[in-house]
Amino acid sequence: MNFLTIFARNLKQGPQTEAFPLGPAFTPERLRGRIEFNADHCEGCRICERVCPANAIRFAKTPDGMTFDCWHNTCVFCGNCEFYCPTDAIHQTNDWDLSHVNADKFDMVEHGLIPNQKCVECGATALNTAPVIKNAKPPLSAEEYTELRARCPKCRAKYLKNRKVPA
Amino acid sequence: MGLIPDFKKIATRSPWIYRINAGSCNGCDVEMATTALIPRYDIERLGCQYCGSPKHADIVLISGPLTVRVKDAVLRMYEEIPDPKVTVAVGVCPISGGIFRESYAVLAPIDQYIPIDVNVPGCPPRPQAIIAGVAKAIEIWRERL
Repeated sequence: MNFLTIFARNLKQGPQTEAFPLGPAFTPERLRGRIEFNADHCEGCRICERVCPANAIRFAKTPDGMTFDCWHNTCVFCGNCEFYCPTDAIHQTNDWDLSHVNADKFDMVEHGLIPNQKCVECGATALNTAPVIKNAKPPLSAEEYTELRARCPKCRAKYLKNRKVPA
Repeated sequence: MGLIPDFKKIATRSPWIYRINAGSCNGCDVEMATTALIPRYDIERLGCQYCGSPKHADIVLISGPLTVRVKDAVLRMYEEIPDPKVTVAVGVCPISGGIFRESYAVLAPIDQYIPIDVNVPGCPPRPQAIIAGVAKAIEIWRERL
């Protein structure tokens, strides 16, 4: 009579087959998928370009600033870039559906631009990167952060050095 | 004369799938076997079935970066598949070379030698991603038939 129990159980549980592509697919929260880049948080250290085993990430200097490109067709989803990024500018989403027709092959790229800016203090042209403030004590306030960000690297160092530290 | 459209309607329901390993590391092949063979990702719902001979195939799944040594065999096998055929590149290796790119032993990207229709990037891609790619390939195949 064992087969009757199995039959009843199968009727109750339904099929084990995933609904995809006829329905939504189960996606784990922390699945390592497509790369996402946030230029606002980027420090411009280019460590992601260096640690990428497949050379999917490229930085290039252009007249507008520094561009970031991640080619999804070369990326192997290893997560090195996210692991080494000091400012969480690069993230792996859990988006896995990257299949595309061959005509779109060269559109599968994550673009980002770190624009140029004029330093408010000395007027030099420099990249508008996120400042390195990990070791700044006490932590910077929001106004200090915007002031620091508007400067070139040399003036940033001067600003941090001359910052008044409350006793 | 009325038979041919009817026959077309029946025939377009079930493309047969053939797999070519062009020097793959076996990761993508495991995923493709998973996609077909276990009930969880049942690809036969789309009417697809794996076949053992290239002469029966309609959709070709190619994995691997096309190594120099395997190139002639792959091209010969590809020519044996009857037209109209749809080619799906599975994994980053056939699309761009992936981590093997710029190696002396690898001829990637594969679309220099074989016309590719659908790309499924990933290292390896998820079974669901392969199913999505196959679904795109079936649409292309129906247009060609």
